Amino acid sequence: MNIDELFKRKSLFAFRNVGNEKVLVPIKNNIANMTEIFTLNEVGSFIWDKIDGGNSEDDIVLAITNEFDIDELTAKKDLSDFIEKFEKIIS
Amino acid sequence: MNTQYLSIAGFVIKLQSESSAELTLEEGYSPFIISDYTDKPDVIINAINGIPNYLLEKNNLLFEAKNEEQNFFSIYRQDTSYKIIIFDQKNINEVQQIAILNNELTEWKVYCKEDYTNKITPLLYPLGPIVMYYLTVKFDAIMLHASGVFDNETGRIFSGFSGVGKSTMSAIWQKTGSKIINDDRLIIRKNNKGYTMHNTPMFYVDIPKVAPLNSIYLIHHSAENTIKKLNGALAVSRIMAHCIQHGYNNNFIQHHLEFLSHLCNNISVYDVGFKPDISIVNFIKEHATAIHF
Repeated sequence: MNIDELFKRKSLFAFRNVGNEKVLVPIKNNIANMTEIFTLNEVGSFIWDKIDGGNSEDDIVLAITNEFDIDELTAKKDLSDFIEKFEKIIS
Repeated sequence: MNTQYLSIAGFVIKLQSESSAELTLEEGYSPFIISDYTDKPDVIINAINGIPNYLLEKNNLLFEAKNEEQNFFSIYRQDTSYKIIIFDQKNINEVQQIAILNNELTEWKVYCKEDYTNKITPLLYPLGPIVMYYLTVKFDAIMLHASGVFDNETGRIFSGFSGVGKSTMSAIWQKTGSKIINDDRLIIRKNNKGYTMHNTPMFYVDIPKVAPLNSIYLIHHSAENTIKKLNGALAVSRIMAHCIQHGYNNNFIQHHLEFLSHLCNNISVYDVGFKPDISIVNFIKEHATAIHF
């Protein structure tokens, strides 16, 4: 899954910020699935916000490195872990 | 016009009927009846005897409450209202009631199946809890699968999936002098001072009860008593799973998320493993912090 596909799938979740984290409620066939509610930590929540239909993966990696004082390699892994996690959730 | 008022969790419900049939309630509602109420109610329920055929049409299905064995109720979207078809639990092919709720969630028309008793019972189970649910999403409240106890100082809620020991836990606290608010279903309300928990009418008779809410415990059976504080998004997500809700409307889901994020910001939430004996009472008192407002 690439970042554009993930952006399109964001509408499959209701979400709310809780501090710097997020709670995500998956919605299938217009019904919220209350048995599979997910949370995102601060980095995950930041990535979620950056997936806006305009930012590329490189843009998001750069934004992560600027925001969290981590190197590019770690930021790339954070983003790829995030995408992998969502592939599992959505599938 | 037959009229009755109920006060449930501080919500005032006006029941009215123009029918000649007697307006009745299941016995669990009796202690919640109030008299001489003159202000505007929070919700009005118009009870109507008989179900017109045109209401049996099933278009724009939003939500079905059912399990493998039976269908409890189905919710349909109409132009300016919701339609809820409630099935008779003793005769699953029969419609027990059809309830129409306006978009503002302030007024119901409840069409009830006619029967030989010439009585009309608009809040016949499960419509009573459904009405309460829509009151919670209209106002600053949630309805939760949980037991709640109050020891005259601290209000505690124990929640979790079926079989985790909610009733067992509240019974243990009762043995040590706490009052059980309810051991199955609670409404939590936010007010100026903090949060309160309320019981709701059940299939048995119990008086209306209210207590402050000071801490929440998500429980499970364990060989040893254990406790772990939950914070932030994790606390919200864990409690959300036990809220009573019809998750077809994003506004309702957002309402719950918003309410719980404020709640978890102000009330301590714990994951608790417990041995089903009296040792858990002191264990919780020693290890958990209850926030008092």
